[in-house]
Amino acid sequence: MAGIINATPVADPQQYKNVFVFLETREDKLLRPALEMIGVGKTIANKVNEKLYCIILGSDLKDMADEAVSYGCDVVLGAESPDLKTFRTMPYSHIVSNFVKSEKPNIFLIPATRNGRDLASRIAVSCQAGVTADCTEIDIETDTRILLANRPTYGESMLAEILCKRHRPQMATARPGIFPIPEKLKSPKGEIRINKVKIDKSLLKKEILEFRKKEAIDLTAAKVIVAGGMGLGKPEGFKMLGDLSNEIGGVIGATRPTADMGWITRDHQVGQTGQTVRPRFYLAAGISGKIQHIMGMKNSETILSINNDPQAEIFKYSDYVIVDDVYKVVPALLEEIRKYKKEHVGIAVENRESS
Amino acid sequence: MAVEIIVMVKQVPDSQEVVIDPVTMNLNRSMTRNVTNRADENALEAALSIKDKIGANVTVISMGPPQAETTMIECLARGADRAILVSDRFFGGADTYPTGLTLAATISKIGKYDIIIAGEESSDSSTGHVGPGVAEFLDIDQITYASNVDYEDGYVIGERELEDGTEVVKVPTPVLVTVLLNSNDPRRQTLRRKIDAIRKGFEVWNIEKVGLPPEWVGVRGSPTIVRRMRSIKEKERAGKKYDLTNLGELVKELYEKKVLKMEEE
Ligand SMILES: Cc1cc2nc3c(=O)[nH]c(=O)nc-3n(C[C@H](O)[C@H](O)[C@H](O)COP(=O)(O)OP(=O)(O)OC[C@H]3O[C@@H](n4cnc5c(N)ncnc54)[C@H](O)[C@@H]3O)c2cc1C
Ligand SMILES: Nc1ncnc2c1ncn2[C@@H]1O[C@H](COP(=O)(O)O)[C@@H](O)[C@H]1O
Repeated sequence: MAGIINATPVADPQQYKNVFVFLETREDKLLRPALEMIGVGKTIANKVNEKLYCIILGSDLKDMADEAVSYGCDVVLGAESPDLKTFRTMPYSHIVSNFVKSEKPNIFLIPATRNGRDLASRIAVSCQAGVTADCTEIDIETDTRILLANRPTYGESMLAEILCKRHRPQMATARPGIFPIPEKLKSPKGEIRINKVKIDKSLLKKEILEFRKKEAIDLTAAKVIVAGGMGLGKPEGFKMLGDLSNEIGGVIGATRPTADMGWITRDHQVGQTGQTVRPRFYLAAGISGKIQHIMGMKNSETILSINNDPQAEIFKYSDYVIVDDVYKVVPALLEEIRKYKKEHVGIAVENRESS
Repeated sequence: MAVEIIVMVKQVPDSQEVVIDPVTMNLNRSMTRNVTNRADENALEAALSIKDKIGANVTVISMGPPQAETTMIECLARGADRAILVSDRFFGGADTYPTGLTLAATISKIGKYDIIIAGEESSDSSTGHVGPGVAEFLDIDQITYASNVDYEDGYVIGERELEDGTEVVKVPTPVLVTVLLNSNDPRRQTLRRKIDAIRKGFEVWNIEKVGLPPEWVGVRGSPTIVRRMRSIKEKERAGKKYDLTNLGELVKELYEKKVLKMEEE
């Protein structure tokens, strides 16, 4: 759609307003990163007293639109067609670009998921906008309404603040798992504009032959994560962690080298090249605390780490620290937890019945 | 007529050796070795295996400074038929927009193309935006995050790895594909081909040859600017110490503070 076009002719920023977010879906359901976009988008919109618009594409939008409004979206812009049920680059980028060109948002955020990145760059080119990829901090300068898009760089050791001064919209993709999901509103109010659209055949040449769903472990939704590192010394270490994790309703996390070694599958990996998590409780067993791992778990509410090296980096990021051998600590901890639960299970039941 | 494949490769600092100047917060390039972006080696391999199958022409293009010549020779020595280094001081400091523009303009100048292959992302900018940007400038479809890329009778079939599964897609050419890091096993350079490559050489195209006005490219054509860099300093936490003798107290505290719950909902 774009052709070889120049980015230099710039728009008048005054004509551009409001914050737009793209909501990623599967099978006409909002994905978790979509809710994260509503959260960060709303925060920014509120700071400059603007509205949050959510763009949703799919074959049946009603429920998704209501859900977006319940999380704080002011205006839903929807395009509905059976051809839009599954993400495909050409129809999606065509429709989303047209929304952007006609509605002129000041800011447009897209999740930095694979489909999100597939889309974002095309929109930026088509709309002659600047886009910052994979942001972990997003803010706005209230007087100028300039987006402050921050992304990690140089192996996560630095944070680059990137601005787009003359082009509109100011676009960014936001790393999944970083931005919290907002609370649902008690009495949500939002406008829903859904258009039934007909998609030109020329945009529908990509055939999706098959989708093989994988039963991926969704670490991003986990409340409790028990993670292991090279300090486990052998694959069996993860079995020991599994026993502990089962007892406290957790999911197993891992560092990259343990996945590289094949001790555990890659979908358990936490960190820069794994998942970004924010559980209520993160237990780090035999993990040194290299920045690439820390980036993926630092937003955990409470962190407990076990390491036999008193100087381990991970201790700096931990609320609770145990300096000892994982093979001594983990079984002992499991035993204490069982003991505690046994002593308190009656009380818990009583509490529930009386409340 | 042979299928024409264009592979986009970038030379990047070897990520294991990145040294940052503590004063300017910039990459100290004199201290780092330059290598071919690893995912781009997978992109070239995907092209060469299609060539093995149907006899395609493979052209490698790269936008970068003159030292990227080593990458050009390397790609020829692995089996590319032609290599073009797009190099001019005007192209320096480009963000993803003018990078995509410059590469798309280069591809238009080359003329015929059926398949364009890029890496999923570069290890130094890691945006994954340049590939799709080129596709948008050229107004062609794309298959991103692909593995198992195959060509059959005017169609490219690829498997897209998404967060929750694998999508198998089929798209008529022309199409741009971005391939995953480690999605194949890049063949080695052979000494004979390396000698041939050096003898044959690669082309260098400047801004006139690409045919873009200087104000559209490089720093001047970039919508975004880096305002500042901060080192990421995480706030430190209390690190309350426990040991094997008082784990019972720790467990009690975790439950009382509702960090752990009797039953996870
Ligand atoms: C581009 C890039 C991306 C990366 N992405 C990621 C990522 O996403 N996730 C990730 O995790 N890493 C990532 N890494 C790797 C990262 O830099 C570290 O190498 C890795 O996190 C270290 O893993 P570890 O803590 O398991 O191992 P190590 O660093 O080897 O640490 C093992 C720890 O175990 C302790 N220990 C040993 N024996 C015992 C014992 N018996 N009891 C208790 N403690 C013991 C040791 O004191 C040590 O602290 C990345 C690296 C790069 C360059
Ligand atoms: N300067 C460049 N020259 C050639 N190809 C590039 C260049 N920059 C990026 N690419 C291609 O685009 C892919 C994605 O890069 P990036 O968007 O920087 O993450 C790379 O893997 C390359 O295939």
